[in-house]
This record gives sequence, C-alpha cells and structure tokens, in this order.
Amino acid sequence: MSFFRIALKNLLRRRLRTALTLCGVAVGIAAFVALVGFSRSFEQEWLKLYESSGTDLAVVQRTFLNTTVDEGVGEKLRSIPAVADAEPMIVNLMDLTPEVNALVYGWPEGSFEMDTLTLLQGRRFRGDQPEVMLGEVLAENLGKKAGDVMDIQGSAFQVVGVFRGGSALEAGAAILPLRQLQKLSDLGGKVTAFNVRLRKASDGEPDEQRIQQARTAIEAALPGLKAVPASVRAHNNQLVVLARSTAWGTSLIALFIGALGIANTMAMSVFERTKEIGVLRALGWKRSRVMKLILIEAAVLGLVGGCLGVAGGWLALRILAALPATASFVTSSIPGRHCVEALGIAVVVGLLAGFLPAYRGAQLSPVEALRYE
Amino acid sequence: MSDCLLEARNVTKHYEEGRIQALRGVDLVVSAGEFVAIRGPSGSGKSTLLHLLGGLDQPSSGEILFRGHSLANSFDLDAYRSRRVGFIFQAFHLLPTLRALENVQVPMFETKLSLRERGEKAAVLLREVGLEQRFHQYPNQLSAGERQRVAIARSLANDPEILLADEPTGNLDSENSTKIMAMLAGIQARRKMVLVVVTHEAAIAQLAQRTIQIRDGRICSH
Repeated sequence: MSFFRIALKNLLRRRLRTALTLCGVAVGIAAFVALVGFSRSFEQEWLKLYESSGTDLAVVQRTFLNTTVDEGVGEKLRSIPAVADAEPMIVNLMDLTPEVNALVYGWPEGSFEMDTLTLLQGRRFRGDQPEVMLGEVLAENLGKKAGDVMDIQGSAFQVVGVFRGGSALEAGAAILPLRQLQKLSDLGGKVTAFNVRLRKASDGEPDEQRIQQARTAIEAALPGLKAVPASVRAHNNQLVVLARSTAWGTSLIALFIGALGIANTMAMSVFERTKEIGVLRALGWKRSRVMKLILIEAAVLGLVGGCLGVAGGWLALRILAALPATASFVTSSIPGRHCVEALGIAVVVGLLAGFLPAYRGAQLSPVEALRYE
Repeated sequence: MSDCLLEARNVTKHYEEGRIQALRGVDLVVSAGEFVAIRGPSGSGKSTLLHLLGGLDQPSSGEILFRGHSLANSFDLDAYRSRRVGFIFQAFHLLPTLRALENVQVPMFETKLSLRERGEKAAVLLREVGLEQRFHQYPNQLSAGERQRVAIARSLANDPEILLADEPTGNLDSENSTKIMAMLAGIQARRKMVLVVVTHEAAIAQLAQRTIQIRDGRICSH
C-alpha cells in the first residue's frame, strides 16, 4: 500500500463532501482558464493584428482616459524623417445587431493596413461612402455577403467586401471609412491612434535602435503623445487591460472561494479524524508525516478540481467562441502552458488551503487525540 | 539490574495545573522478556503509566528510562514509539478506510521498507495471528476478535521490543478474550519481548509473570 493510497481513501470516505469541494475548485479554475485564457488570447490576437498590419509604432495619447488624438497630427508625423507613413485609425466596440457585438475599425481608403487583408468577396470601400467591409467570421454571423445592405447604429451601409485578416480579431471585425466611423462615434476631427510605418533600417542598424530613435523623435515633436511598439500596445490596449483586469479579478474571487471550500473540507476532515491522527502518532508517525498526509489530500483536491476546471474552462470558451455575441473576439484555443499554469495554481491553492488544518492536525498530542470523543 | 529494559523512576503525572494527580511517585522496573500485568480500579492511573512507558506522554516529574537512558533526554519519542514499542488498544483503533493488510502496514511507513516488503511483511504478520483468509476485509467486515488480531499484527509491524496493551480484551467476549490473551502470551514468549498489559481482569493478570497493583496513582503491591 502506498502512502498516496491512504490519502485517496480518506478523500473517498466522504464522497459527497469531496465532490462538492471539487466543484468549488473546478469553478474557480474554470473561471481562471476561461477568463484569463480569453484575455491572453485577446492580447495575442491584438499583437498579431498590429504585427500583421506592418505597423511599427502606434501614436496615442499619453493619458489613459483621453484616448483620442487630433487628426491634424498626421501631417506633423509624416514630416518626421524616420516616419515612412502614418495612417489615422479609430477602433470601437459596437452592437451591430442586438445579438452581435464586434470590433469596428475606421480606416482611410488608402490605408497601408488594407494591404494585409485578403478579399474573399467584393472589393475595398471607396472614398467616404457608407460602405463596410466585413471579416469572414462576422459576415457569417450576420449572414451577410458582398452586395447586401446592413444597418449600423441607425445608418444603412452597403457591404462591399468580405475579407480574411491576419488575426482572429480581424476575422470578427468590420472596417468602415474613417469619416463614417467618426460620424457614428461622434469623433469629428479625432482618431484613436496613428499607425506608423518607419523607414527601412540602413545596413547594420539594429531594429530596436531604429524604433527607439523614432519613438524619441516622435515624442519630442508631439508633446502629449506617445509612440508605442506593437507588443507594448497589445499589452496596454484598453480593451485588453479591461479584459485582463476583469478576468483576474473574477478568477481570484472564484479561486478564493474554491480555496475556502478546500480549507473547510480539510478542517472538517481533521476534526473528524482527531482520534485516527492520535492513533497514527501513537504508532510512531512523525508530525511531518501526518502533515504530509493531510497536505497530499488537499493537493489532490486541488489537482482533480483543477483538471475538472480546465475541462470546464475549455468548454466555456468553446461555447463563447460559438455564440454570435462573442464569437468575433473569442477564440476557443487554450495554450498548453495556460492549462499547466491553471493546474499549478489549483495545486498551490489546495496546499495553501490545507496548510492550517494540516498544521493543526500534526500538532495534536497523541494522548489527547486518543482520548477525544 | 543488568537486564532492565524499561524503568519508571519516581514518576508523577498531573493534569489541569496539578488539580488531578494521576500518578504520584511511581517506581517500576521491567526486565527484558518479562510479561507484566498492571491492575487497578478505573482512574487509578494504570493507563497513564502505560502511556508514559510507551512515550505517548511525558511525566510531570521523574523519568522513564529505556535501556538505562531517559526517554526525555535521549530519544526521539516518535522514533521510540515507531521502532521500540507496539501498542494495542481496547477499542482496536484500526483505520476504517483501510483493509486488514493495509492497516498492518501503517506503522511501516516510518521504516525504509519498500512497498513490496511492507505488503509481504504484513501478510506474514496476519498469518501469524491466524487471519490468512481475511487480508482484504475492512474493519467493519471483521468480528471484534478479528479486529483485535489485526491490531496485534499491526503492533508487531516494526518488530518492537515492548508490547503495551491497554485493556486488550475490554471489548471482547470471554471466549475471544481467552484466545487473544493466549495469543499475546504466545507472541511474548516466542519473540522474547516485554509485554505490559493493563487489565481489570484477574484471570488475565494470572497469565503474567508479575502483577502490579496500582491505586490512586501509587503502586501498592508487586
């Protein structure tokens, strides 16, 4: 008989209580897997989006709350020697139908970002006409194809093209002419950011150095604005920040509740087994071995609850990725690293929650524990 | 005394800041291979003395010596209980979630025996107490006599030199009591170990080589 088997049998003694505890842990871990996994994949998709568009830097406001930039900044940006091109853009999250939310971009007609899109149907929009291009997933969710007309915030737009982009976010997005989105968003003369392409590096010049020098030049020329590389921008994107903080906040609350469940179960278990612990101590078990037994039980609760939680989180993401309201910005893939991390967190939560009951169990005097009724 | 294995020297034990005096200056010498019975009325301090001899508790004053060395100063009490002493309780105290074969292995976790060796040794011990057909039964599937035999096998798990039994027949009928005591006496004689039995019963005490009477925390006759 292995030591582990004793721990396992103790857990199976109160099957209902163990099952309920596992459910508590599983909910916490499922929340972590689904929410934090979503926020991370959301960030990754933003990064892919920025990188695939060939944008080296994005020029945005320094302040967190005021996220718009005056459109007139464009001329000044283009006059900076390091800058090859600078395109204004707006990004917004909109209800396109009561069921479907999507990211909506506003680009000028000739934006270099158009070059990264592959048209599956129709054409690009022209000028500032009320025309819209739909990502392939969004088009499918809306049941629209090139040539159809759709309503966006009370205005009629003609669907002129369906495209495939470099990221899942683009697949679930709509692209409008910049002026049209400014009008819909009440952002006359303002944009969310300028996407900047830098001039090619001269021979031997490291990329990092070229980007750093350009950032310094832009920030010196345009006080109040900052130039951020794609990775930083993906990390600091307000939607990503919001998703991340919400995900972690919710997950931590759920994990805390799961930990309380384990702590309660282990405390009850130690209380009920006071006499048995006394017997184990009488038979020569060291305090450390008693503690190890209880901690293994707590860790097993964490691990099994964690496995259930990973499966639950994956299922939740699958469902979210299939729902029209969320399909545009949720991917169902969970990196293996994230699963391992979730299981690690589950075991650590189990160990932390089990520590105090284990310590108290180990401190029991054998004689007093044997007398306990 | 050259063959003295276990000794209580002027041992007192009190509880609740001295309001309860369980033992009052007990002196006792147990020689190697000796079978001693401790008799006395309820509350006389006989179980307390057994617990102190087994390192389950420490005296308030005085000392317990094993092979001439004080338990308090010279021994890790966990190791002493694990390797030198085997306990048998009135209420058997088997772990309800483990089968007979598994219960016997519990003390062996403090040794270096492998998984396989633990299983093999437990099987030998259960055969020794006549339970070769009951290896895989849980305690609630065993009779009271069988449970006590499993407990005896468990007490022998680490080949102790001392067997301490606290009312080992207290929960058994007279037929099983006789069998269990005969088994304990046989094991003590074969293994040449110390057996100290706390009991109310005169018939059991008669099996011992020596009986100690204890009353109000004092030994009143040897």
